[in-house]
Amino acid sequence: MMLFWLLLPPLLMFAASFSQSVWARRLLPISSFAVLIPVAILFRLPKPYALWGDYLVADDLNTYILLLASVVGIGVTLALLTLDRHVRISQKALYRFYRFFGLFWVGLSLSILANHMGIFWIGLEMATLSTVYMIKTNHTPAAHKEAWNYMIVGAIAISLVLFGIILIYASAKPLLGEKAMLFDALLHSAHRIPSPFLFEMGFALAALGMFVKMGFFPMNLWLAHIERAAFYPVAALFSGILESGVMAGFFRFSQIAGKVNYDHLFLFVFVYTLLTLFIVSFLIFRAKDFMRLFSLSGVEHMALIALFWVSGGTFAALLHFGAHAFLKPALFLSTGVLESGGRYRFAGALRGYHGVRGKLFWFLVGLFMLAIVSLPPSPMFFSELYGFGAMIDNAKASHHLLAMLGAIALLLVLLSVIFYRFVAIYQSMKYEGEETTKLVYGSEVAALAIFAVGLVALLLPGTLAFLKSIG
Amino acid sequence: MVDFLIGVFLATLITALFTTRLYRLLFWYALNSLTLGLLALTIGTRLHDRAMLLSGALTILLKAGAIPYILKVLSRKFALVRQIPPGIKTQYAIMLVPAILVFTFYLAEPISHMVQGNANYVAVSISSLFLSLLLMIEHRNVAPKIVGFLCMENALFLLGTTATEGMPMLVELGIFFDLLMAIVVINLLLYREEAQS
Amino acid sequence: MSALLLYFLTIVLMLLVAPLLLSFIKGIKMWLLYKRPVSILQGYRNFAKLLRKESIVSREASAITRVAPFLVLSPLLVVLFYLPPAVKGAYYVSFVDAFTITGLLALSTFFLMLLGLDSASSFGGMGSSREAFISALVEPAMVLTIFSVSMMAGDLGVGQAGVNLAEHFPAEHMASFLFAAISFFILLIAENGRIPVDNPETHLELTMVHEAMILDITGVYLALIESAASIKFVIFASLFAGLFLPFGPELAWPLALLVFLGKLFAVALAVALIEVHTAKLRLFKVPNLLGIAIVFAFLSLITFYVLGA
Repeated sequence: MMLFWLLLPPLLMFAASFSQSVWARRLLPISSFAVLIPVAILFRLPKPYALWGDYLVADDLNTYILLLASVVGIGVTLALLTLDRHVRISQKALYRFYRFFGLFWVGLSLSILANHMGIFWIGLEMATLSTVYMIKTNHTPAAHKEAWNYMIVGAIAISLVLFGIILIYASAKPLLGEKAMLFDALLHSAHRIPSPFLFEMGFALAALGMFVKMGFFPMNLWLAHIERAAFYPVAALFSGILESGVMAGFFRFSQIAGKVNYDHLFLFVFVYTLLTLFIVSFLIFRAKDFMRLFSLSGVEHMALIALFWVSGGTFAALLHFGAHAFLKPALFLSTGVLESGGRYRFAGALRGYHGVRGKLFWFLVGLFMLAIVSLPPSPMFFSELYGFGAMIDNAKASHHLLAMLGAIALLLVLLSVIFYRFVAIYQSMKYEGEETTKLVYGSEVAALAIFAVGLVALLLPGTLAFLKSIG
Repeated sequence: MVDFLIGVFLATLITALFTTRLYRLLFWYALNSLTLGLLALTIGTRLHDRAMLLSGALTILLKAGAIPYILKVLSRKFALVRQIPPGIKTQYAIMLVPAILVFTFYLAEPISHMVQGNANYVAVSISSLFLSLLLMIEHRNVAPKIVGFLCMENALFLLGTTATEGMPMLVELGIFFDLLMAIVVINLLLYREEAQS
Repeated sequence: MSALLLYFLTIVLMLLVAPLLLSFIKGIKMWLLYKRPVSILQGYRNFAKLLRKESIVSREASAITRVAPFLVLSPLLVVLFYLPPAVKGAYYVSFVDAFTITGLLALSTFFLMLLGLDSASSFGGMGSSREAFISALVEPAMVLTIFSVSMMAGDLGVGQAGVNLAEHFPAEHMASFLFAAISFFILLIAENGRIPVDNPETHLELTMVHEAMILDITGVYLALIESAASIKFVIFASLFAGLFLPFGPELAWPLALLVFLGKLFAVALAVALIEVHTAKLRLFKVPNLLGIAIVFAFLSLITFYVLGA
């Protein structure tokens, strides 16, 4: 029953996309607000709460992630109301967009809530396939090419994940039987898995698939190009919901892998994320338009989250994750306005806003721009502090303190490169370039406001305590 | 018998790598899926696993029958290019394919000690995974890339049936469902392509 | 029956059946193309006709033209003695390995090429160079394939390998066995100049390989060359039958010989079907096909060694 209410808004969206009337579209933001009710109830229920047998189980971690994804979903539905004002899109294509958005949301809700590796994978695959079409709604040759590109690379990534899942299943099946597909069962008996090598091989492949999907090394520019070619809500969905789903999977898999062999897990993720950050920070430095900039910064933050998580900084990772899940979709949605009229330049993007809505818009966007590089009041600042703290603690416990400290120093250098670039861009947006009038619509400001509220809510003592309790 | 089917599976995949015509490629894919289905049926009968029998039958129906046929119809409908010379020259592919095979066989060696029963099949499925990746890489056209993706699905299915003696029924049905959805999405993508030009 | 008698009987049988097989292929092809098929005995008739005819040798030709046809035929006749036995209990040569057989076949091809060059016509040179090109690619795959099968059979000698396979079929090595079979079949087609590689029926200068070399040869010499071609096919077919279809020899000897003949005709049928269904490859695409054969031969070896499957 609970599951039904959770999936109702996306299913409603799927159904509404078949009706051609405008009011159906107007109704959607309200109906998607309704998803907050079951999520809120889910928070109150005793954990772990079985939504569907062993297959879908809600615990603190995935309820939190589901909440983040739901808020992003609401924000995107709001922004979608005025999508046709900013870009050229036919009515039919817009309805199709809604249809596949609905499927995408269903798939990722399943993925996030899954306690079963198979369900996790099926949801992820469903979401991947539906995104292909969402990319395609933009009627340009570039978007067409990137849609195929996404289809192919996404299929490879997702196949790697399935491959890993099968190997993990094979490694634990002698011990657990059919239950070897369940995350919690695997977690409980991780010590007793008969063939750890097989498990680690499976984990490495699955993690590789998930990393590719999030745009880690070696596919750094892949997502950026796709998001550049697609309409801006697609990018918001990627960064807000899709990466939540993938990250949720990564959290689960790495929890188990950490119990099997913590050193291997840490080394693997550490080297991988450091490599990713190294490349991404320089790519950010060379980014020439908002989409690619934000997309690459998304890769950077995902790498940081993964790094914090495996370093034992659960709290830091979750806080960072939450902050990113609110900030990045907000920035992506605002890209629609910042680049209005097809002007991709940074200079002057934050000038030329009039009226209350306009003022509010540039204020919020400016705030978000600075918050994403973790200027102090931002939750990201605290999360990074805690995250580096966790890494140092981790280093103290191990035998290679110096190497770790060096790595952290390198990380800080890379982050400061990114920081410097973002501040420079912000200044250029605000103080350079000519002024052109840009139109901002109420629904977009509302979406940004929701994300801002969410961001503030993350810093409330109650939330922080909740996040600490998850760890 | 199972060894024989595994051999046919790998052989059809390698032949598909060197194919330069689309319909021939679809034929090899269908044969590949057919051996996979027969394999699942054989192993299923040996283990008395009804779920595996069902998924084997589904594989034969869907992957060896329906999907190649649908792809053929689609390629007619959208007038896809049917001459698909591989981007990697055959001379290089001849060296590359054995290199991949040796690499994956040795890669899989420690694994195959751990999987009970059908140890070699893990190696074969890993190498067929890499070969289907190669199939996707070596072509510039869309259609063979799709076939490569489907072959990859087959390789994973092979791993699922042989390494774990059958995945849970739910997962297999889900994979089939996603495969059908992939076909729908491919249809839509192709449709758009036509509408554009 | 005594072992030696059976041995010679098999060889005589193979010699007799050799022209029959090629006519059989031709007949099947014509039948499938809705033509009236040639008589299956056409091979013998051609042989008899050529024997009656006067042989003319070009003025430019040296003594090689007179000697080479015998040298083309004789290595193949020697190979006939080294093949795996068709009947259990028959005498067989156990120690001859893949290198010897490939070498003898290459020797025959070498004299054929020499013959083509000796006629000093442009066609002969062209045919010889093409033949050299193809056979250079065939040999490594051939050695690999026969080696791989010998490994599975547990003996390097080809004859012994055939006996071992018939006695104890390695079902656990089915996969690598299959790969070797695919590879060998491609080689059979390539080395005998059948359709995807060479068309034995055409005299079109762009495509011919084998025919180009023997364009100037007449009479008895041509009869020798033609019978060499048919014997080569019989050698390959019986190698395929003995190594890759290893069943039947344990039966009583008349029955076993019958099964053996059936296998030869089955191979011929398969070749005919392939010929009808495929177009001839361009000469420079032939290495691709042979490359596939090499891949499969290699695959067979590594599957056997690494996986043991």
